[in-house]
Amino acid sequence: MNRVVAIAINTFREAIREKLLAVILVFACGLIAASFGVGKLSLHEELRVIRDLGLGGISLFSKVLAVVAGVNLVYKEIERKTLYAFIPKPIHRWQFIVGKYLGLVVTLTAQMALMSGVLALTLLAQDAAPDGALVRALVLLWAEALVVTAVAVFFSTFSTPLLSGIFTAGIIGIGRSTPELHALITSQLKDVPGLQTTLDWATQLVPDLHLFYVSGSMVGGKWVTVNAGDFISWSYVAGASGYGALYAACVLALAMAIFARRDFV
Amino acid sequence: MTEPAPAIRVDDLKKTFAFGFLRRKVQAVRGVSFEVRPGEIFGFVGPNGAGKTTTIKMLMGLIFPSGGSCELLGRRVPDVHAKRRVGFLPETPYFYEHLSGREFLHLCGRLFDLPADERRARADRLLEEVGLAGAASRPLRKYSKGMLQRLGLAQALINDPELVVLDEPMSGLDPIGRKEIRDLIGGLRARGKTVFFSTHILADVELLCDRCAIIVGGAIRDVGPLEKLLSPKLLHTEVVIERDGHAEERRLPPGDDVQAFLREALAAGGRVVSVTPVREHLEDLFVREVEADKARQ
Repeated sequence: MNRVVAIAINTFREAIREKLLAVILVFACGLIAASFGVGKLSLHEELRVIRDLGLGGISLFSKVLAVVAGVNLVYKEIERKTLYAFIPKPIHRWQFIVGKYLGLVVTLTAQMALMSGVLALTLLAQDAAPDGALVRALVLLWAEALVVTAVAVFFSTFSTPLLSGIFTAGIIGIGRSTPELHALITSQLKDVPGLQTTLDWATQLVPDLHLFYVSGSMVGGKWVTVNAGDFISWSYVAGASGYGALYAACVLALAMAIFARRDFV
Repeated sequence: MTEPAPAIRVDDLKKTFAFGFLRRKVQAVRGVSFEVRPGEIFGFVGPNGAGKTTTIKMLMGLIFPSGGSCELLGRRVPDVHAKRRVGFLPETPYFYEHLSGREFLHLCGRLFDLPADERRARADRLLEEVGLAGAASRPLRKYSKGMLQRLGLAQALINDPELVVLDEPMSGLDPIGRKEIRDLIGGLRARGKTVFFSTHILADVELLCDRCAIIVGGAIRDVGPLEKLLSPKLLHTEVVIERDGHAEERRLPPGDDVQAFLREALAAGGRVVSVTPVREHLEDLFVREVEADKARQ
């Protein structure tokens, strides 16, 4: 465990010194804070605009940060040969992947906490405090970012950052559209049951990221929004987070299996 | 009394790489076998592209053999318990640029589960030993190639290993740096450590090694103590005669009468500057093996 923690701490220290990630983070915080000004332009809808823009910004930039950091995570170690000093040490290869992932989780958590802090301050500037609904929405976004990070790390174990980025972006796009995809498959392919079943199974392999961004959509036949009183419950958050943790664990297990068999030439 | 297990045992080790879209196969290591005994300094000598680094990477668990086996300290590679007792310096080491020399050694120490105070003590001692005490707090991105090489050696010794594997430890170093590293390796021998190092600098092998293996074209050509590998027979005698202010060098083949030649030269008014019997050097052996390999191809 000590070795995993050592790798995680090193990953965190490296990530917080990464200039590109810092620039993205500053830009994200600026955009979230700018929602205060945009809110002023609306007609008595300041809080709704701040919440929607803030959550949207955190959702977008947390994934950008997860993809940028994740796709480089293992590839950079192999390319720069920094890995050569680690693998001959008394660590298992899977410990390296777990340590790197945990380091990135800590980094993303810190970055999302900072963005959430900016959103809270923006709300306070509008004489409103962050409520439970907003916190639940943020926890869901955090869980989603961890799933996206796991997917990016998985691709990073065998592909270049560019390809890994494209693959991960594709997974995010499909994952966010799972309800629409299911509806499309059901309505358009009802006459071809074999293909319909195959595509249904294929969509099961992609993470259902729609579970994590529910504000302004139907959940269990009910319209939910972070701006209304009856937003999703903590039990929904726990269920979705559990699904995310399980999915991330499976993807990381695959990443570890690939990494364990790789030659570092 | 039973003999101790070899520090390194390599048995019929093979590695084939597949390149390109058509997966064209290239055999980098072709059935390499040798043993390194505990406490000795063993040189792994070969020209560039001979398979030295590939063999070392297989020993260190960085790549997997296509055939054969290798053991470190009696345990089949890769083995975490064996890794605890091994130090490794990669060829042209690259480390985390955001860390300082001291921080990097601490990180390596943590990977060996060393307690914090021991890590601190060992890191400071090793930085002193490799001459980096003055640059201990400097970020690694500001280190020169030679400094990174020295830090690489320090991290290879952080766990006080029984076996030290060094891949081209002298590369990138100036003559002073090379001498310092040679002295360090000599110091490791004095402390009873086993050192296995690869190089193509033959002078280092002649100065340091108890035994060496010569690898050419992915196959071992010779293994043994240098005095056994090198032919003891006289190659020629080099005589330098000075006549009318000009020095003239003559190479006399083994059968020639050197005494008669010298008498003749003195009688002709010359002055004998030097007489040197030349026997085979590692370089000659090395060139012989490389040329034999080319002839085989």
